[in-house]
Amino acid sequence: MSRSFRKMNLVGALGLILLLVGSAIGLFVAPAEKHMGDVMRIIYVHVPSAWVSMLCFAFAFGLAIWSLWSGKAQADARMTGAIETGVVLNGLLLIQGSIWARATWGVWWDWDVRLTTSLVMMLLFAGVLALRAVVDDTHRRATWSAVATIVAFVDVPLVYFCVRWWRSLHQVQSTPDTLDPAMVVPLRINAFAILFVALWLISMRSRIELERRRQEEVEAPERIVFEGSPEHA
Amino acid sequence: MPEGVIVGGWGYVIAAYSITAAGLLVYTWSLISRLRKLERDQGNE
Repeated sequence: MSRSFRKMNLVGALGLILLLVGSAIGLFVAPAEKHMGDVMRIIYVHVPSAWVSMLCFAFAFGLAIWSLWSGKAQADARMTGAIETGVVLNGLLLIQGSIWARATWGVWWDWDVRLTTSLVMMLLFAGVLALRAVVDDTHRRATWSAVATIVAFVDVPLVYFCVRWWRSLHQVQSTPDTLDPAMVVPLRINAFAILFVALWLISMRSRIELERRRQEEVEAPERIVFEGSPEHA
Repeated sequence: MPEGVIVGGWGYVIAAYSITAAGLLVYTWSLISRLRKLERDQGNE
């Protein structure tokens, strides 16, 4: 196991510990909200999931540009890791939000702009993963999925700013100015926790993707020999 | 009872946290399993 991979395992372990600590503070120490009561405690997993999923997609966007520019396997592999982790967090965010919506709005879903753009964001990046699954050629897969990632990223700022630009059921972004100080602490702890866990997941997924590419490149020379062999002249 | 306060609601909170934990655990386990398989295959080469 490489040194950098062992470091990432420590980052992941730190993230899991922080997640336990932050969640415990959020559930048992932080006060209930004035109107939503204890239901509001969902914020301590919902908002960090949202922030980190968007960060993952932003990271993937940067890696997509690097991949197109350099053609490096590392860029493509890390981009895949970032997208997959982002999609998982995005999916969790939608489920958490749906549960919170049921409790506060009385419905599991509404075609509100924030909810709809978040769903579209998940589907766009899931589409990039689906594209990668159907393209066999390594270089074509890297190029096409990098382009698709850049296109998909257009939705990310829409998701973030839509609550300010348009009328929405969903509240505006949570900041230290809009939250009680006792609520800011567990929110920040969990934000870093989920970020560290995401970085660990991205590193593992990147390693799997790099190995997949290595195996494809090992197998490819056999195909070339087969196509050019004298038996097939 | 004060106006505008949702009473109880711990069921929703537990559901949200449980699904989050389960989702992260399942994905993490799937990655770790795939990595272990890769390391075994590399060891066999």
